[in-house]
Amino acid sequence: MKRTIVPLGPQHPVLPEPLVLDLVLEDERVVDAVPTIGYIHRGLEAMVEKVEYTEMGFVAERICGICSFMHGMGFCASIEDIMGVEVPERARWLRLVWAELSRIQSHLLWLGLGSDAFGFENLFMHCWRMREEILDIFEATTGGRIIFSVNRIGGVKRDIADSELAGIAERLRALGERFAEIARVFRADPSIHHRLAGVGVLPAGEALAAGAVGPMARASGLATDTRLLGTHGYDRLDFEPVVEAGGDCLARVLVRLREVEQSIDLIRQLVDRMPKGDGQPIETRVRGLPDGETFMRLEQPRGEVVYYLKANGTKYLERFRARTPTFANIPAMISLVRGHDLADVPNIILTIDPCISCTER
Amino acid sequence: MANPLSLPMSRRALRNLVARPATRRYPAEVRPRFPGARGQVVFDPSTCVFCNLCARRCPAAAIECSREERSFALDQMRCITCGVCVEVCNKHSLSMSPEPRPAHAVHDASVGGGRPRRQEWRLAERPAAGAGSGA
Amino acid sequence: MDGERFLARVAAYRADGWRLSVINTTAVLPSDELPQGAFDISWSFALGTRLEHLRERVVPGEEVPSVSPSFPSAFLYENEMRELFGVDVTGIAVDLRGQLYRTATRVPFSPGAIRRRLEATGRLGDGARHAAKPQPRPTTEAGA
Repeated sequence: MKRTIVPLGPQHPVLPEPLVLDLVLEDERVVDAVPTIGYIHRGLEAMVEKVEYTEMGFVAERICGICSFMHGMGFCASIEDIMGVEVPERARWLRLVWAELSRIQSHLLWLGLGSDAFGFENLFMHCWRMREEILDIFEATTGGRIIFSVNRIGGVKRDIADSELAGIAERLRALGERFAEIARVFRADPSIHHRLAGVGVLPAGEALAAGAVGPMARASGLATDTRLLGTHGYDRLDFEPVVEAGGDCLARVLVRLREVEQSIDLIRQLVDRMPKGDGQPIETRVRGLPDGETFMRLEQPRGEVVYYLKANGTKYLERFRARTPTFANIPAMISLVRGHDLADVPNIILTIDPCISCTER
Repeated sequence: MANPLSLPMSRRALRNLVARPATRRYPAEVRPRFPGARGQVVFDPSTCVFCNLCARRCPAAAIECSREERSFALDQMRCITCGVCVEVCNKHSLSMSPEPRPAHAVHDASVGGGRPRRQEWRLAERPAAGAGSGA
Repeated sequence: MDGERFLARVAAYRADGWRLSVINTTAVLPSDELPQGAFDISWSFALGTRLEHLRERVVPGEEVPSVSPSFPSAFLYENEMRELFGVDVTGIAVDLRGQLYRTATRVPFSPGAIRRRLEATGRLGDGARHAAKPQPRPTTEAGA
């Protein structure tokens, strides 16, 4: 049969960011897909050559607007690991509060984008409306809605008062009730099921071979969650990774729905278990220059991120590398679109929650 | 075809018909700023000793400060409002205002309209508190 | 590097159910011992909460076998290694022929390129400790 090549992107209604897939079609069916990235490659990793390690955290934060807190946290944690800095207890807990808030924010954003992609604009509106509240919490506690600049090597810059933390937990509880109503739509609406169930099935074995991470892997029945490592203070929280067996687009939606609920619960646990008392130290003063290397793993909203840092005893790092979750998920996405109709491709691309800014850095 | 009223979104959609909008009538109605928001860096020339610490610590190199010329310049378009300068300033000449930078700040003031992106102070003598001259 | 022995170790990871987590390259700047510089490449594998690394040092021009026979998903990392660092990876499953990234400079992270950039800005070697900050761009306002 005659083959046609249809370029999808860099500009496409369902793509929030520029990704290019050259789709090789036979009639309406995709037989192959070739990715091109690099439209927003900014060379942020190369900036370690001229940005001091103390300031590189601000660059790391700007890798991506949705994952910005976790990137800042991952960078600072990596440097702390190299230099052997002990972060004060309070800072550790606060970082987790912000990290889980980031996850809720990111998943709500994605649930909105996802519903927009499968043609449910009303739902998109409601998801983003809830996300605004999380951004308000961020602005009140960190001073920024997208770029927070609260992480620094050795701790965090701002404390959240105990009364404010209780208020956040209460607001999240109320948000959870409204979220339950929206989650019910995702779970029960027949048009969503018709569009997503059975589409883009990624079996567990393939997900493992393709190196899939995060919600993508968990929707295929793999219980991989970097939070299980117990680092950064996650060992003090009770949670089970959210796993769905379906492996299809619907399962990936369900995983994210449940992770929003899980994160709301985790923040409640954090607020309950955090040692009370305002005015606790939130920062360790860091002196000296880092020397050594480290691999640091974190669970971002989109999955496992791996930071590699190599320092040589000067102000400038030798290498900073962030292997972001989308980078690991793209091979699985490409294998998924093969064999599907062109009309299903946007849904499959979106359900991996691609973050191209992260991928290209 | 399912009964539209039995669809999970229907109740919400019906309530939306009579509910107040979730948005504000901006710009007529402006949301109050959060007290700790990082809007823009504000410089108070009356207390500055031109020690240059802010300029050296600014990650975006948005500040130029000279002890000899007793001058201070802040490039608002380069500033990333990280707040490092505010923290390091011993004299509290720099502060973070929750008011965001005006969206009509322009790269080139000579084009007309808008506020210049760069604010400069050159002080021959120390002025009275609160009196500063913009660019 | 010993390609066959390396691939056998990679295959063992695959057989034991490990996942390829990341392939990372670090450029080693040219020095007296390494006139052309080198690459420190690490392949990281994850299983459960464990993360293990294989590390090899190769010099520019030395062939690095692709791990695609065991981990087909490595093609993105391997294309990246070749395009950004100039590592000679052979047998990539999906060869994107230099089309993955669109960079202004060819192989921007090769040891030579990094050394040239550091030399141009005076940050090479010990100079790194005293390097200047990036200077503000010239501004064009009246009175500036």
